[in-house]
Amino acid sequence: MFYKPKNALYKSISRRKFMELGGGAASALGVGSMTIGLNSVMTATRVQAQSSDDAKWKQFAGSKLVFLSENTPPSFAIRDKIQSFYDLTGIEVEILTDDLPVVQQKAGIDLRSGNADYPLQYVQDKPIGAPFADFYTDLTPMFGDETLPQDPEGYGDDVWFENFLTACGRYYDGDKVIALPYDAAVALTFYRQDIYEANTKAFEAEYGYRMEFTDDSTWKNVLDFATFLKARKTAGEDVPYGYAQHQGTFAWTTQLDIQRMMFAHGRWTDFDIDDKIGSKTPGKTKWGDDQSVLMLEKFKELADASHPDNLANGTLELNTVYQSGNIAMQVQYHEFAASVEDPKTSVASGGKTAYAPCPKGAPDWIVNGGPSVNGTNCGIGGIGISNNASEEIKRAAYLFAIWSTSKANQFEVLAGLGGTPTRKSVMDIPEVAAARTRPTTMPNALTFDAVYDHGIKDPNFVLGPKIPEANEYHSIVAAESQKMLSGSQTPAETAASLQRQIDNLNDA
Amino acid sequence: MTDTAQAGANPDLFRAREYATDVEARPISARLTPPVQRNPPSPRRYYLYLMAPAITILAFISLYPFFWLIVMSFQNVGVGAGEWAGLRNFTRLIDDDRFINGWILLLQYSAMCLALQLSIGLLLAVIVNGARWEKFLVTALLMPMMMAPAVAGLVWLFLYNGTFGWYHWILQSAGLLGGTSMIGDANTAMLAIVLVDVWQWTPLITLIALAGLKRVPQDQLEANLVDGASPLRNFFAITLPNLYPVLLIAIMLRFMDNFRFIDAALVLTGGGPGDATKILPIYLFEVAFKFFKLGRGAAIALTLLLVTIILGMILVRVFEKPKSGRN
Amino acid sequence: MASRDVVQYRSPLTTAFKVFSVIFLTLYLIWTLLPIFVMFVSSFKDLLEAFSIPEVGDWAGATVFFEFTPTVTHYVSLFRDGNFGTYMANSLIAAGGSALIAVIFGSMAAYSLSRVEFRGKKDLFFWIISTRMAPVVAVMVPLYAIFRSLDLVGTLPGLILAYTTFNLPFAIWILKGFFDNVPYSIEEAQMVDGSTRFQAFLSILPLVAPGIGAFVVLCILFAWNDFLFAAIIGSGGAKTLPVATRELVQPQNIQWGAIMAAGVVTTLPMMMLGLVIRKYLVTGLTMGAVKE
Repeated sequence: MFYKPKNALYKSISRRKFMELGGGAASALGVGSMTIGLNSVMTATRVQAQSSDDAKWKQFAGSKLVFLSENTPPSFAIRDKIQSFYDLTGIEVEILTDDLPVVQQKAGIDLRSGNADYPLQYVQDKPIGAPFADFYTDLTPMFGDETLPQDPEGYGDDVWFENFLTACGRYYDGDKVIALPYDAAVALTFYRQDIYEANTKAFEAEYGYRMEFTDDSTWKNVLDFATFLKARKTAGEDVPYGYAQHQGTFAWTTQLDIQRMMFAHGRWTDFDIDDKIGSKTPGKTKWGDDQSVLMLEKFKELADASHPDNLANGTLELNTVYQSGNIAMQVQYHEFAASVEDPKTSVASGGKTAYAPCPKGAPDWIVNGGPSVNGTNCGIGGIGISNNASEEIKRAAYLFAIWSTSKANQFEVLAGLGGTPTRKSVMDIPEVAAARTRPTTMPNALTFDAVYDHGIKDPNFVLGPKIPEANEYHSIVAAESQKMLSGSQTPAETAASLQRQIDNLNDA
Repeated sequence: MTDTAQAGANPDLFRAREYATDVEARPISARLTPPVQRNPPSPRRYYLYLMAPAITILAFISLYPFFWLIVMSFQNVGVGAGEWAGLRNFTRLIDDDRFINGWILLLQYSAMCLALQLSIGLLLAVIVNGARWEKFLVTALLMPMMMAPAVAGLVWLFLYNGTFGWYHWILQSAGLLGGTSMIGDANTAMLAIVLVDVWQWTPLITLIALAGLKRVPQDQLEANLVDGASPLRNFFAITLPNLYPVLLIAIMLRFMDNFRFIDAALVLTGGGPGDATKILPIYLFEVAFKFFKLGRGAAIALTLLLVTIILGMILVRVFEKPKSGRN
Repeated sequence: MASRDVVQYRSPLTTAFKVFSVIFLTLYLIWTLLPIFVMFVSSFKDLLEAFSIPEVGDWAGATVFFEFTPTVTHYVSLFRDGNFGTYMANSLIAAGGSALIAVIFGSMAAYSLSRVEFRGKKDLFFWIISTRMAPVVAVMVPLYAIFRSLDLVGTLPGLILAYTTFNLPFAIWILKGFFDNVPYSIEEAQMVDGSTRFQAFLSILPLVAPGIGAFVVLCILFAWNDFLFAAIIGSGGAKTLPVATRELVQPQNIQWGAIMAAGVVTTLPMMMLGLVIRKYLVTGLTMGAVKE
């Protein structure tokens, strides 16, 4: 019932902690500050279940917390609004933003050494959540706690969008919830419907069907569109390229890019584990089976039909390429709609771009007997609390977590910077409902049909692979796929290499 | 060791000997041991006290990480706790393609950087030496060194970009590139980061070579010219040999710096595409900071440290030589 | 340098070389200065203008680089919204502070090493130098652990101490060479005249001033331009310019305009420093082996 990890933390923490704190003298220094953490301050007043809501919010007035986060707009949005949190609770929150690798490293060291410098952390589902799941506090006991203010909607799975709470909150253990979803980046298709309409006649002549994108369009259609446009482009016509992939230096999004296509065809997953919760012992990988080899071949075909500078573009550069009108379609994360619809930076704005779910798997390309779905994946960030912090700090941090993920806050971020809400109730707000069609004040809302109504619902959504070695896994997949795309190895070799390396990685 | 021998080896400490005046009558066969006059109080202890603060700081900051690395390298430290793993981290490295690849790429990277920096740097020094606007030229050439490598990486990222990069546009217009940017193509990515390093550090070689050129004995050059030798022969026969020691130092320094600084390369390619530029320090960065495999990272770090120290020992030996027996 | 006037050697090869060197020099100067120039100019461009480049092969169209309306919005946003004033101050304090500490302790240590003699001296000296050679990435994690346990992470004193790790050995290395060239007899004469050993030490400091000057400048340069230490040990309360510049590369959008402006802010002080201390650079960079 209680899962005891093989290398349980408590077995050897004393030795490691000693080493990491630099010996006796230093650990004496460290012990005192450990539970409170650097820069945190705690003052608490007692409240009871019957106390007023206001008293419950203000029970930790005068405290100070530190929130470690990425340097992304959602964090900036919180920073802008932090004054209202202070007014509500009297707690001062210091928000530190850093590059993701630095955040990972600092969070990692902090959590593993038993410190609580960063009681509040922004938990990206796979890069941070999957490796460090054991170090975050289980929030479920606090959900029903009467002495803490609670959101009237509650925190059950149904107040958040489908699968969101599991995606960012549950790892390896179905009962624990370690983070509340704060923002989400879900993939969907952006395409230039003006270019499609302009070229549909010529396309139909060649391929026999209209050049348009629907919920049922498959990856084969994408390949056709891309090949068609590329041929036209090289012949000198004034059309953009058809497609480009997520490559570049950000290994995680490269892996996600491949995963979308793999999952769309027969719901192929990397490991034979529960995709929603993940597993610490994933076992042998499925890379190397027939489906994966076929998919790699198709991926390469797609790359060959893409923009020539495919390998240099990570997610961000890809968006810039799309915005500058150099490609006609991208499978991108829905938060980028804000920048795509910005007339100051994008030539694809003003109605030229249309949105659709991710492409479906092409039936001909499925050899493992599975269904064809709109394979969609995501990066969901949640607010988590370090388990090393003292009880009081955890409770104070809880206040921050529920405040930042509340409906009011999410709506404000959406309306302001263009955030990505995670609560269903935000959809009910009239302004949001109105913003889902053009003309709109919240460009991100244009994607909600494709994302919230279709992409994240089963069977289209793939959450994993949630394994402790997630970061290295992403890096291996990205590196091998790039090698394949630059021509130094065949798809079959790539699949074999992936199988070998990943099994090695997981000791399978 | 007798005092005489000691004196010969450490002239600094015993210069005071010149003031010794004691002389005794003694048989010729007896060994002469001049009295040793030491400055009061005992200097050695004094100097050691003077050094102490600096040495303590250094010890604190360098010894602890070093021992930590050693201990970590024998452990299997992942995301959980650490457990003793013996030599497993090291043996796994032998099978690790990315580790071996990292070394090969690192050596390639250093070799290419050095070759280009040396040849261009030396050429520039020769051209600039004695030229009319020498001071201005040198100052202008100096500028890339002043830039932070991280910033240089960003600026070059902008220039290399396939969509809006000027450098890319120039190369494309000159017909050297297709639509793929230099950093997007596995074949040219290494060249791309080499060029950035060359851009930034060639001025160093130029400066050093220039300083060295100025100290080449002019009379020898003159004499040779009068004798009818061509400037080219002069260069190879006289100038270059005089420059060797200094250039060697420069080479060693750059070699070691290539192992240490990954700021620019990290920003430009991050090791990609597909491991094409994943030199060992970048791989180490990934293992330690992204995968949290501190045990494996420590093992890799130790190998890197070892090679760096060996290189350093060679450098120091070379450094010592010019001081004695300088012509 | 009289020889050039007295003895000339003319041949077709010489003139060819002269022509070649002019061309080479010009091309190289352009290549060297182009990125810096682009950085400066782009920092005044609006985002879309910064991205506009001519068609492939359209060499004449290169003038589009200059067609823009200069704007200082990037600089304003950096200093007003982006706290760059603080970051600049941090960089200055960290660089200056570590230079100061390194000079003080380093000169004492270098002087001692130069004058003392004992069995393991060569090894000690080598160990000191080797601390500077360690790849930063390798020692980053344990250093972070030490600094964390001393509560120095994210503080300026912590960053100064971190920079001292590579500045101190550097100081000792370079200054020892200078001290070696100062004959001991000078101090001796002083001591005979009645000053203490330490006063004698202070009195010869002016003689090594060029070395100290070279070192201080280089120390500031390396500390200012450093990225890894500042990112990991300094971030939070002691963010410096290179780290802040790098942070402008955000996952959501790369703010090129702001990056260029930040690059200018980070580089300009160092460039001006370079103008001033060109003389000392060679001495410093070769650890005193080559004297200007």
